[in-house]
Amino acid sequence: MDVFLQQLINGLVLGGIYALIAVGYTMVYGIIQLINFAHGEVFMLGAYFAFTLVAFFHLPFWVAVPISMLLCAGFGLLMDFVAYRPIRNAPRLSALITAIGVSIALQNIARIIWGAKPQPFPEETLPSFLQQVNPLEEPNIYFSFLGINFTEVAIKFPGNVSLAYLDLSIILLAVILMVGLNRIVSLTKIGKAMRACAQNRTASNLMGIKTNQVIAITFAIGSALGAIAGVMVGVREYIEPTMGYYKGVAAFAAAVLGGIGNITGAMVGGLLMGIAEVFGAGYIDPIIEFIATNVGLGEYYEAGTISNSYGSGYRVAISYIVMIIVILIRPTGLFGKSTGHRA
Amino acid sequence: MRNWLIGLLLVPFVFVLSCDSGNQVRVAVAGPFTGNAAAFGEMIKRGAELKAKEINEAGGIKEINENGEIRARQLTLVFGDDVGTEKEAKAVATRFATDRRILAVVGHFNSSCSLAGKSIYKENGIVELSPGSTNVDVCQGSDWTFRNLYRDDFQGAFIARYIKNILTEYKTVSVLFDNDDYGRGLKDAFTAEARRIELEVVSEKAYDRDTTDYTAQLTSINADNPDIIFVSGLYGQAALIVKQARNLGITAQFFGADGIDSPEFLKNAGAAANGTLLTTPFTFGAGGEEAAKVAEAFEAEYGVPPDTWAALTYDAMGMIAEAIEKTYNSKATLAENRKAIRDHLAGLDTPEEGYTGITGLTYFDTNGDTVNKPAYVKIVKDGNYTTAEKQMLDIASQN
Amino acid sequence: MSKNIIPNSIFEYYKSKSSFILNQLTLTRFILFLIILFLPTILFSLDAIIKFFSDRNIYIDLPSGDYILYICVQVCVYILLAIGLNIVCGFTGLLDLGYVAFYLVGGYTAGLLMTNHGFNYFLVLPLAILNGGLWGLIRGAPTLRLTGDYFAIVTFGFAELLFRAVKNEIWLIQDINGFVKDIPSVNIPYTKIVLYQNWHHYYHILILIGIVIFITYRLKNSRVGRAWIAIREDEQAAACMGINVSRYKSLAFAISAAIGGLGGAFLAPFWGIISAKAFEFWESILILCMVILGGKGSIRGAIIGAVFLGSLSEILREILLRVPQFSSARILIFGVILVLLMRFRPDGLIYKKSV
Repeated sequence: MDVFLQQLINGLVLGGIYALIAVGYTMVYGIIQLINFAHGEVFMLGAYFAFTLVAFFHLPFWVAVPISMLLCAGFGLLMDFVAYRPIRNAPRLSALITAIGVSIALQNIARIIWGAKPQPFPEETLPSFLQQVNPLEEPNIYFSFLGINFTEVAIKFPGNVSLAYLDLSIILLAVILMVGLNRIVSLTKIGKAMRACAQNRTASNLMGIKTNQVIAITFAIGSALGAIAGVMVGVREYIEPTMGYYKGVAAFAAAVLGGIGNITGAMVGGLLMGIAEVFGAGYIDPIIEFIATNVGLGEYYEAGTISNSYGSGYRVAISYIVMIIVILIRPTGLFGKSTGHRA
Repeated sequence: MRNWLIGLLLVPFVFVLSCDSGNQVRVAVAGPFTGNAAAFGEMIKRGAELKAKEINEAGGIKEINENGEIRARQLTLVFGDDVGTEKEAKAVATRFATDRRILAVVGHFNSSCSLAGKSIYKENGIVELSPGSTNVDVCQGSDWTFRNLYRDDFQGAFIARYIKNILTEYKTVSVLFDNDDYGRGLKDAFTAEARRIELEVVSEKAYDRDTTDYTAQLTSINADNPDIIFVSGLYGQAALIVKQARNLGITAQFFGADGIDSPEFLKNAGAAANGTLLTTPFTFGAGGEEAAKVAEAFEAEYGVPPDTWAALTYDAMGMIAEAIEKTYNSKATLAENRKAIRDHLAGLDTPEEGYTGITGLTYFDTNGDTVNKPAYVKIVKDGNYTTAEKQMLDIASQN
Repeated sequence: MSKNIIPNSIFEYYKSKSSFILNQLTLTRFILFLIILFLPTILFSLDAIIKFFSDRNIYIDLPSGDYILYICVQVCVYILLAIGLNIVCGFTGLLDLGYVAFYLVGGYTAGLLMTNHGFNYFLVLPLAILNGGLWGLIRGAPTLRLTGDYFAIVTFGFAELLFRAVKNEIWLIQDINGFVKDIPSVNIPYTKIVLYQNWHHYYHILILIGIVIFITYRLKNSRVGRAWIAIREDEQAAACMGINVSRYKSLAFAISAAIGGLGGAFLAPFWGIISAKAFEFWESILILCMVILGGKGSIRGAIIGAVFLGSLSEILREILLRVPQFSSARILIFGVILVLLMRFRPDGLIYKKSV
């Protein structure tokens, strides 16, 4: 049970990251039906921008993160302006190929600027609750509540289940930003314009909505959210030029699962993808072992003829499988409404 | 338009022409200078460059002709980037093997690249001396492939025995391995030996380099409550693993192999790296005076301390240079010179004949594998590698 | 443009029959044809000249003929793949982001059968082609009704799944990480001829390319090709005209995949070793880049795209090694090419609109 809870927490944290990235995909797709392959790279750039600001310009973390978000938002605008706007009326495949090209180009520009090696986020610049204290020493407990200990770096639940503040902040950020974004889209004027553009771009143009502007704002918002996800991942893991690729694909799968174009869908899809991945890595192998030993194939399992690493080996593939199945069976995803102009 | 296009197609075939009087001896260095293993490639490049520089400053490679005159030649390095993939490794190998001046190749780093290049080097008769490939098959079936470090099976078995014999307070082990040739090969060797010497392996879990979140595997490993977690993988992912494990409150001892022997591991793992044990073909701490001098020169040159791969490449380059100096004959053809280098290396088959470099004594068995190069154990203390207190250098207990 | 070297009057008859070869024969092409045919001879005589000098201690830093030949064979493999991908991408107008999957299927079919079961290459070749085609159908069947982005995503996911499978299905591959080592060279049955040198491979793949080009040309100009292009231009209109869309699409998937399988089958004995790493997503993009550079739907375009990008990649290795911090620019350039092409010449560099 402890293990299950811990895995659930792990899944939620990963899911929170996916959700933050998935929003960028889903918003852009909702409005111009473009799979912005380069969004994963924006996520990576967000992490690198914050890293550079902190490590080379010695800005405090809390200043660097908003600046990095702004920079990424600007970068999203630039990307839209330079690469996507000129081909907005070209066939959709041209846009997709452009997106792939932008993605490859950005990844390698980052490699040239910051090098191929992974970079850790400089720990001493982080706010204290995100830092790592020497893990082998017993951490100070600030206060306890119902058996839950709040220590320097993590919340310890009874039964050795722990949730680092960093991880907690990822989940909270995802939820708060998602609720806020939903509010913006459903209540404000620009949100209304976005929804109008998503329904019919020509008609909204005729109604006096500056569609190009609305699209640009969409890119900016998506990129800013990607940037904050990038910073969190950079702090939690490390920063490297390829970090956007796999997480981008998984987040895209999450967006497809939730119903592409739907922000709540991206949130839920992201969390589900995270949990699915973690549970896949944690539970597939024991299940296979259980089945193998019970149908009399235990010796093959022992000998390694039946692999004991399917869970982690195919973990990466879970997002592909989800993506394919959703597209083939229910292209509108969990929350999407049939919009009539599906692919 | 059409002519313009044809012209464009021809551009690629224009190469740099240069003529010189042949006052150079050329040796190629192949490694992953870009791509995922670029951090290793960088160290390989620096190790080779440092050795070449030292040789050239000492007057280059000398040849005494029949009249007793000494003619010194500069050692020139040619680098080839194999990106760590077979396709590129094949191209690089063909490039070097069919070159008219390259006498020997130091490389490749990745086992898959060494394997891909093996047949080409064999066919064209040129020595391939790898300072980094540990896969069991690398030297099999070719007289022209050598390596100056141990194989995966030796290292895996060594770690199992070290845990059993030296770290007696630890009883149970979990393995977390990279789902790739290096990680898996090492893990297989480890578990096979563990089974033989009855060291209890409570669980095995794989991870993939593409994902950077390993909390799922770590949580299920922790459920088995092992005393030691053996991470069979490379430095980048290993750093994340120890970091994430400490965040999850896992207090088990970590053990790694030579793949995590890189300053990058310390940089990425931060405080979490402390206490990690790892094996390495060589430590500068145990390497003696000569090694310390080289480490100093290296740091002065590049601003970072050398790692194992730099040291191994340094020695590999030294072996090749020695072989060239002893056998080179400017009257002979290229093929004869290459063959002489191979024969010289193959002749280093007993401890007496072996080459003594900064990583210790190197000599080859009939396959071209290095025999009995000791494995050292290092520990991370306060963010630095130091030689662990207890070593297991006794060859008898290693075999 | 250079003139026909053969007087028009004599061959008027053949031309009126639109004989494919003669109709297209110009001086440039004739010379190009000769160069391609005698490339190994040219390179080896160049080698001999350089050797003459280097024996006299005058060194010319040109790469050896064998190396250039190796690069040519590698480029030829890409030509084959680009032609195959062109069928789905160019003729039926669907974006295939996972073409490398069939390359993988062919490679492993040939590699495993030849290494572990001792099959002869010439027996394996049709099997690999069939297996590739079969996987093309397997992927094609559920995706028939998909178009545009959704099709692209499914193909992408499918290729990545196969990539994971060869990495993890150790019982099938019998080695880790999708390694198939020591794949024997091609030997021609009933003779003692073994094809192991680069110039053997060169003529070997030239023959394969010749056959594939012939078949695709005939297909393109046949009823099937017209149907494909009709589907590309407007699927619904094509269906209304009585074209069985699913049948022709399936056919395109199968043939395209079969050519991918052929490429893989050639690759296995050519490299002698294959591993999962050779079939990453990046390879799909590279092949796609070639098709798009030359112009979707044009066979000649696919060939020129493959030759250009294949050799460019090799040249950049030589050049960029001298500027180490820019070594990643090699891949960067491919991204930039894609973006610029889509912006300025979405139909490729040398595309002539035929329909």
